Amino acid sequence: MSQGSGPRSLDVVQRWFQAVVTHPSGVEGGVRSEEAQTLIRLDRGELAAAVRRSRNLTAGERLSIYANAYYARLLECLGACFPVLKRALGDDVFDSFAFEYLQRYPSRSYTLDRLGENFARFLDETRPEREEGGEPSGVDWPDFLIDLATLEWTIAKVFDGPGVEGQSLLAPEALQAFPPERFAEVRLTTVVCLRLLSFRYPVNAYFTAARQAAEGEEVPIPEPAAERVAILRRDFVVRRYPLTPPQHALLQAIQGGSTVREAIAAAAAASDLDDDALAAGLRSWFRFWSAEGFFQSVS
Amino acid sequence: MAAPRLGHANLGLGVGLRSVHFEHILQHQPKVDWFEIISENYVDSQGRPRYVLQQIAERYPVVMHGVSLSIGSTDPLDLEYLKKLKRLAAEVGARWISDHLCWTGVLGRNTHDLLPVPFTEETLRHVVERVRVVQDVLERPFVLENPSSYVTFQDSTMDEWEFITRLAEEADCGLLLDVNNVYVSSFNHDMDPDAFIRSLPHERIVQFHLAGHTDYTTHLIDTHDHHVIDPVWELYRTAHQLTGGVSTLLEWDANIPPFPVVHDEVLKAKRFMDEHLPAPEPAAAEEPVLAAATVFHPLHHIRPEVE
Repeated sequence: MSQGSGPRSLDVVQRWFQAVVTHPSGVEGGVRSEEAQTLIRLDRGELAAAVRRSRNLTAGERLSIYANAYYARLLECLGACFPVLKRALGDDVFDSFAFEYLQRYPSRSYTLDRLGENFARFLDETRPEREEGGEPSGVDWPDFLIDLATLEWTIAKVFDGPGVEGQSLLAPEALQAFPPERFAEVRLTTVVCLRLLSFRYPVNAYFTAARQAAEGEEVPIPEPAAERVAILRRDFVVRRYPLTPPQHALLQAIQGGSTVREAIAAAAAASDLDDDALAAGLRSWFRFWSAEGFFQSVS
Repeated sequence: MAAPRLGHANLGLGVGLRSVHFEHILQHQPKVDWFEIISENYVDSQGRPRYVLQQIAERYPVVMHGVSLSIGSTDPLDLEYLKKLKRLAAEVGARWISDHLCWTGVLGRNTHDLLPVPFTEETLRHVVERVRVVQDVLERPFVLENPSSYVTFQDSTMDEWEFITRLAEEADCGLLLDVNNVYVSSFNHDMDPDAFIRSLPHERIVQFHLAGHTDYTTHLIDTHDHHVIDPVWELYRTAHQLTGGVSTLLEWDANIPPFPVVHDEVLKAKRFMDEHLPAPEPAAAEEPVLAAATVFHPLHHIRPEVE
């Protein structure tokens, strides 16, 4: 069945096939590409020397089935990973970003669960230059996309990552039992699934609005505004908690291994509340967070 | 001569476990003989998918079916991935582990597609050797499925069924005969599906797959988004007679209907196992599709649950 000097090596066939069916301009561009030509040199119209035609389809048409499916499948998967971002951008713009992304960061994992892990980074790397004279540290539209991609990716990771279901957590009563002076010196261990995020756009609020909106209903893109959020998983469902700056500073310090006293100092530095208001806030925050399962243990 | 089904039990009529059916299965505990999981959806899961799987594995026999082993690739085998398969198999008591006779990428890339191999002596030696390594690592017989394919290579020196037969015998592995894939590939490559099935080593067939496909008139695509069509049921009847009956599983991966519809579809297989039972009413033929429709996803994305 083979012609000429015997079969090509399997390695050559596979590298050639992959170069052809993953080429961004399709099979014809793939066959003409330097990579493919180095492996199997084919002049125009010679594709049938490598791939047989069928009764109904030419060799090129048959290879196109794989080429079309490659991008269609992975674009669909990325869209499923970032449904709210896709809605914000619209299908065509999202797909054009995703198409570029797949060329820069092709999948190298056995699982599609990692397909989108570099998407936020890609959006940052490929962001358009800021307008001349614009504030170099200013916040603009790409930051919204990057923040939203970060939020959606974090939700996916927390959903299927390590959790604490079935484990005993630190209850509010256990925290209240500590005398205040002693409590200040303890270190709290946060649950393994807790993530603390800080955004330049209110993407968590946008995420909520997009999920509540009817299909096809326009959800206005918000103005830039700092937003902080805690994400964790309880009973296998991902939960989102908007945080104020002192709340975020407090949890970040606790998660970083600080004592409660050090964490409170961090919260105070990030707060414009007076001491009494902050103290009252702290009590209710700790009660609420422990009830919601933020803390695993105390030491 | 190998024992029928390589000694594996005939588990009956099973359904591919899909996340959209989790709630239904947990609540209603349907009378399904067994479930097949997509291995990659669970090997790393530490969340709800794995939790649901544990509950299902306590009640039903489970078989693991993978899409990422890339047994035909010239890249090295991913031993970490294999160890994860082995660990999950032990945890859920998997009856066997299967994947496809294909490759998914080279040079470290994964196209997440089931790509065809040229059927040559070199490919055969390569795949036989790798199946042996896989069986050594997994410490159990491995089961390989014939994928649907859309091209054949000029370099091939043998037919697909000859390749599969020699592979199964030389590597001493089991076969998962996907009856729909035989039909799809046979249409696409102008082959005789009946001869394909009759030529296989039937005692090595451990499992059947059934699924729907999409007819593009010039070619068929294995989309798993329809009912099983009558010619595939007829092939199934033949395969059942030749093997004496093996575990049968229905895959439905896109436009997935409610669980009872999927379950009813696989139960139709009973009518093709016993020649004394009347055949079901002929299903309406699926309309050929002229434009792009469903893209087959060998690996599912499980949507996170978030409040």
